[in-house]
Amino acid sequence: MKKVYVCIGSACHLKGAYQVIHKLEEIIRREKLETTVEVKAAFCLGECTKAVSVKIDEGPVHSVTEDTVEDFFYQYLLGR
Amino acid sequence: MGYFIDVAFDSLNKFGEELCGDNVEIIQTEKEVIVVLADGLGSGVKANILATLTSKIAGTMLKEGASLDETVDTIVHTLPVCNIRKLAYSTFTIVKIDYEGQVHIIEYDNPPFFIHPHGTKIEIKKQSTPIQDKVIKESHFKIQDGDLLTIVSDGVIHAGVGALLNLGWQWDNVNDYLASIAPKEKCSSHIARGLIETCKNLYMERPGDDTTVVAIKVREAEVVDLFTGPPEDPEDDSWVIRKFMKGKGKKVICGGTAAKIASRELERELEVDITYLDKEVPPIAYLEGIDLVTEGVLTLSKTIEKIQKYVEGDFFEACPSFLEGKDGASLLARLLIEDCTHLHLWVGKAVNPAHQNPDFPIDLSIKLKVVKELVNWMEKIGKKVIVTYI
Repeated sequence: MKKVYVCIGSACHLKGAYQVIHKLEEIIRREKLETTVEVKAAFCLGECTKAVSVKIDEGPVHSVTEDTVEDFFYQYLLGR
Repeated sequence: MGYFIDVAFDSLNKFGEELCGDNVEIIQTEKEVIVVLADGLGSGVKANILATLTSKIAGTMLKEGASLDETVDTIVHTLPVCNIRKLAYSTFTIVKIDYEGQVHIIEYDNPPFFIHPHGTKIEIKKQSTPIQDKVIKESHFKIQDGDLLTIVSDGVIHAGVGALLNLGWQWDNVNDYLASIAPKEKCSSHIARGLIETCKNLYMERPGDDTTVVAIKVREAEVVDLFTGPPEDPEDDSWVIRKFMKGKGKKVICGGTAAKIASRELERELEVDITYLDKEVPPIAYLEGIDLVTEGVLTLSKTIEKIQKYVEGDFFEACPSFLEGKDGASLLARLLIEDCTHLHLWVGKAVNPAHQNPDFPIDLSIKLKVVKELVNWMEKIGKKVIVTYI
């Protein structure tokens, strides 16, 4: 099971963490990956300038926006 | 420490008047709380002057230690005489209540006060003394945790006269109303606001008289410790958390970084909830031993907005959203309004990198301003606030 942590701290919240979470959940449903990928929320990941900060398990922090969620998902989550 | 005397009041102006002819003075001393409700003759400016004069004289004299007799005598002899009615007149109620719950009330022509004990019935004997051609009623008794004492101006008793209700709702009806809400409402401001809003409805938004409610509730003090923002010096983290956890009351953490520090120092896992109950308020988190964990500045700003709406807006409109909202800001606003009597703010002065980003709205860069505003609103609703900068 992979865990995707989406930062919901102040900065990321303003930059659209809500939309990113929803998009991720949507893609997971579409791809029927509910049993292999789980979306979780996290408080500030310490990379506020990269808002919205997202990391996979204990991996590095990626900067994701509402528009790049799809690319991010296929590149980092399905690609691995 | 004794009881916390939770006093709140609210008024309606007579329709079309800019000034209220009722005036309330609340004075807190180290020994006791003094509450004066004065209702000036007539309405508008003249009534306002009479009422203000009366409540100020009473408040100031009693605060400086004058006896009630002297005070009443001074008021009766100093009020200016109304040209039309050839009367110098302002009715008033004075309540002195100490932190042990000992109450002393003087009533001069206002409607009789209401008492709703939480537990045992309270025997009240009123002693009458004539002053000039009016009668002063005096009573002494003791109240306890949860008891509610309400004083009103006659606008409350007359609400709806000649409009919705032929004779207005009488003292007994008001008493029944208060009896039904007293056990349900924990804080006096809900009671004062609720009763005033009910009067406003009975008057169909056009009050025929100045209308004022003062609700006094005796409660055990309930401290809320609120920790927001990391300490300026990271070396203080563990000391601050230890101090913070020592508090006996409810504990709140507002801020992701602050929550992470607490989680690290306490060696307990921080679980962030992913559900957005309100799109505008970031989700809350859970940490064992902490009553509420939320995001920082945005949630605090939203909380202040809610408190402000509660104070200034329509009570029945604002209230359900407080009681039902489960998002961080609603939970916090409710905790601060209903439960909290003393708020201790632990405000970290560390610079948050997120707030330095030039793309963000201005109020993010000024957390201290948000805190100051919160302090203002909390004091406005009668809470005691202490701020410790760390």
